Amino acid sequence: MRPPAPHRTPLLALHEVSKYFGAVEALVGVDLEVHSHEVVALVGDNGAGKSTLAQIVAGVLSPDAGQIEIAGKPVTISSPSAANELGVASVFQDLAVCENLDVTANVFLGREQRNRFGLMHDGAMEVETRRLLERLTVRIPSVRTTLRQLSAGQRQAVAIARTLIGDPRIVVLDEPTAALSVAQTGEVLTHIQRLRDLGLGVILISHNLNDVRAVADRIEVLRHGRNNGSFRATASHESILAAITGAA
Amino acid sequence: MARTQSSLREANRSRVVDAVKKYGSLTQVELAGATGLSAATVSTIVKELVASEVVEVRNTVRSGRRAQLVTLSHRVGLVAGVVVGYRTMRVALADVAHEVLAEQTLPLPADHRSDTSLDRAALLVVDLLERVGSTLDDLLGIGLGIPAPVHPTTGMISVRGVLRGWDSVQIAQVLEKRLARPVFVDNDANLGALAESTMGVGRPWRDMVYVSVSHGVGAGIVIGGTVHRGVDGTAGEIGHVQVDPAGRICLCGSRGCLNTVVGLPALLEPLQTSHGNLSLRDVVRLAGDDDPGCREIVADAGERVGAVIAALATGLGPQGVVVGGELAETGETFLAPLRAALERRTVLNQAGGPEVVPAALGLRAELVGAVALALQHTDVFERPDRTDEEMAGR
Repeated sequence: MRPPAPHRTPLLALHEVSKYFGAVEALVGVDLEVHSHEVVALVGDNGAGKSTLAQIVAGVLSPDAGQIEIAGKPVTISSPSAANELGVASVFQDLAVCENLDVTANVFLGREQRNRFGLMHDGAMEVETRRLLERLTVRIPSVRTTLRQLSAGQRQAVAIARTLIGDPRIVVLDEPTAALSVAQTGEVLTHIQRLRDLGLGVILISHNLNDVRAVADRIEVLRHGRNNGSFRATASHESILAAITGAA
Repeated sequence: MARTQSSLREANRSRVVDAVKKYGSLTQVELAGATGLSAATVSTIVKELVASEVVEVRNTVRSGRRAQLVTLSHRVGLVAGVVVGYRTMRVALADVAHEVLAEQTLPLPADHRSDTSLDRAALLVVDLLERVGSTLDDLLGIGLGIPAPVHPTTGMISVRGVLRGWDSVQIAQVLEKRLARPVFVDNDANLGALAESTMGVGRPWRDMVYVSVSHGVGAGIVIGGTVHRGVDGTAGEIGHVQVDPAGRICLCGSRGCLNTVVGLPALLEPLQTSHGNLSLRDVVRLAGDDDPGCREIVADAGERVGAVIAALATGLGPQGVVVGGELAETGETFLAPLRAALERRTVLNQAGGPEVVPAALGLRAELVGAVALALQHTDVFERPDRTDEEMAGR
């Protein structure tokens, strides 16, 4: 049905990945491929293994079995910082932003640029932050605004902008539109399209099939920790829903 | 010295106004951050702008503190423009001077349903009103564009099947029920034509054609300065002109329509083997990056569309053809073959032929048109009570 272009090596490929928590089979022999300029959505019911898979890609969890390849080379993603070095950046549901810090500080949190005296390079970081926000077409009045003053959508945008530090190739977004207003959802979905246009591979995890079908190129359904169907973005709502619930 | 002082103040004023326009509403503190001006300078400029009625200031609370929220002045009221496309929805709020105060794009799923999408449109309008510090009370009307012919009297889609899930829907009424404000519905290409002929590149022309080429092809016809919709709103539906008598069956039910040849599925299908799965945005981007396959597809589409426009132009004799929609974003890659197809027709060529130009308003043409449609139907001077109230409030 869907012949992937044969000459392209996927940015990220997971083969037969499994993960067990005691007797719980979180993931059983799951395959996943993400290409450049591609948004792959992971959908499934609660406990289907979406977040577990995302955490494996982000280096938070390590798989019990299976292989991970990045740009065709087998890798082990042992920690989140290892994931960063391999070009994988992630935004999880809790965002992990600091409300009392400003936009620049949040974008560079833990990766602050320092000058030769070991002092923080505030000017350069502000310039870089503005550049990142511009690239994503994020509308935030000032990079010196503290996060507390921003809307939920703007915070999500800051979290997404932060992933672009260090020029990643793959971005993992876990439920980026949960609890956002329609306008804010529109902003975040537009940012996701921008990431795709910049040539990144995006893994999008969401419950909302409307949002997923709006921006994803491919929709991978997980059910009880197993692959349960792969759909084009043009596939009908009903057919995807059937794969999620197991009605198909 | 005095001269530089005053020009500096002028530049700072426009920086403040631009920032307010860009963000809809800002507190004075945020305004200082956005413009890089000092708080004192911002305060002075805002006072001047309030005096000259360019902006309004109201009290608000930000992170527990009282703050002054600055918005553009919209004493008379606001209108909303909504354009629902195949895969995106654009919403804009504008004042009665056509000045867009806030704008938002929302990507939509394929084959989106009318109920979900109109519901989201209503929520977006309310969200944007909030963003500029207004409420539904300030809204005078909504202009709505959809990618299908709209019957001028019933306001429903006049050709069944072309927009799945929207047939037999009283579109204006559905939205009016949600927002309790008058809604005016029109075909998106007609709105593009309205915008380009009143505010865009077509201003000097009395007769022109606006062509929108994105997921499908549509045209809006302007005769004598007004949009010509035809008896059932189907005027300009060039996407349903037959170009291949042996071709595929179109969504409308006829065989070999232009849309079956240059509609999005038809554009992407030949690229499947060489390029894999692409989106319309990819094709436009790759054509810009000199990808030969995508350029070929775009150029061929330009030629096919041009041939149909040539027939339309022979019948109408317009002064200009304005080309909008996503494919027009590729510039001359699309426009040159389209223009060549027009020049090939001797009648057009010898008479000088219409000028073929890209839409001055770009992808926003239809959205600007939706705003213009709402304003056309709204008599803004009929509400003196409101202005009195505001005067009393000051």
